[in-house]
Amino acid sequence: MALKESEAIVLRTYPLREADLLVTLFTRLEGKVHAVARSAKKSKRRFGGALEPLTYVRAYYEDRERQELARLDSCDVLESPLADEVSYSRAIALEHVAELLDELLPDREANDAVFRLTLSVLAQMQHEAFWMPITYFELWMTRLMGYLPELSECIVCGRELNGDRAFFHALADGLMCLDDKRLASSEISAESRAIAAQMFRAPVESFTGASWPRSSASDLRKFLLQTLQRHIEKKLVTAGMLEKM
Amino acid sequence: MGRFAEPMTRLIDELKKLPGIGSKSAQRLAFYVLRSSDADAEALAAAIRDVKASLRLCSVCNNITDVDPCVYCSSATRNQRLVCVVEEPTNIAAVEKTKHFNGVYHVLHGCLSPLHGIGPEQLKIASLLRRVENGGVDEVILATNPTVEGEATATYLSSELRRPSLRVTRIAMGIPVGSDIEYTDEVTMLKAMEGRREM
Ligand SMILES: [Zn+2]
Ligand SMILES: [Zn+2]
Repeated sequence: MALKESEAIVLRTYPLREADLLVTLFTRLEGKVHAVARSAKKSKRRFGGALEPLTYVRAYYEDRERQELARLDSCDVLESPLADEVSYSRAIALEHVAELLDELLPDREANDAVFRLTLSVLAQMQHEAFWMPITYFELWMTRLMGYLPELSECIVCGRELNGDRAFFHALADGLMCLDDKRLASSEISAESRAIAAQMFRAPVESFTGASWPRSSASDLRKFLLQTLQRHIEKKLVTAGMLEKM
Repeated sequence: MGRFAEPMTRLIDELKKLPGIGSKSAQRLAFYVLRSSDADAEALAAAIRDVKASLRLCSVCNNITDVDPCVYCSSATRNQRLVCVVEEPTNIAAVEKTKHFNGVYHVLHGCLSPLHGIGPEQLKIASLLRRVENGGVDEVILATNPTVEGEATATYLSSELRRPSLRVTRIAMGIPVGSDIEYTDEVTMLKAMEGRREM
């Protein structure tokens, strides 16, 4: 079969048999693809650092007859996370992006909006300020996957929430007003809702420079992760790591 | 798999738990054991039992050993003030092969891996900090893998180990000896440039 060529982002690798690696790629051409990289564990020369998580590569792969797994022929590195210093917190942020993509994207379904989002967010993750790009990525992923409810009205009574207090709950599919909130709900501040509205109007680059401590929009991130985890019906490992960071 | 006798099924099931062994290989190995002599089968069983009974982690460096402290930590000729930090016990052999390292080791038993939920608490980091805290260490060489997670581990350790009296170094990353610069990928080349030395 013909060799396919596509820009791709490496999501994760698993050891497979003796020396092979199973690689999950997010390709621009056809979305998430699982491929086998033969001898990648033994002969580092063929793939070098190209299979590290969140490496932006040009991948060459081919489908094999009657087989689910493609064969990864080679990868050229376009942008490596190893080019900048990798702190522990940066590794958590990068692998959080990888886990979200891996868990949320269906196999073999191109999604150029998510691909462009990922590239622009990764470009903002070169240094130590992660909370802004993480928030931006979680927000847009929730929306692009179709899981984001309307943030401006109460899901119970339909009342406008702008200017009023708003609450969310792990089992509720949207925000609630003060009268309708469930027991053990958390509040999402008007400020954080305003940040979300801004993030829908502007590219991620426009938010750099401003100081973004962990506390900025932390309620929004909690709401987004609850929403995402409810849809995929599992806990995200890196969400727990971010919490402990 | 009802077609095998119960003891055979049990052996196949146990073998299948080994890394890289699927159903086919497990059956092949099980039949090999069945055909081998009683002495050979007994020796295999004894070797498996003994490895668990007699091997443990060195109380100083966490290397796998049958004596505690291990041969490196109890050696009078090795420089006990020079500690090389590695991810896995098997990495020690790679350093030993050079025959040019005369220090001792510290095995982390893994690296920081957010995707697998492995943070500093899951690694043997506290015991490394204790070793340094107790004095007696002049230099720590960080020999974790040149991967995203290995780098994250080294960066984390370097900040945790920061003390005025301690030298913390990272092994160089770069072009394999005997290879050609023309065929070196850009990340490796970048790291090789960063790690250049005065001549
Ligand atoms: Zn309401
Ligand atoms: Zn030892």
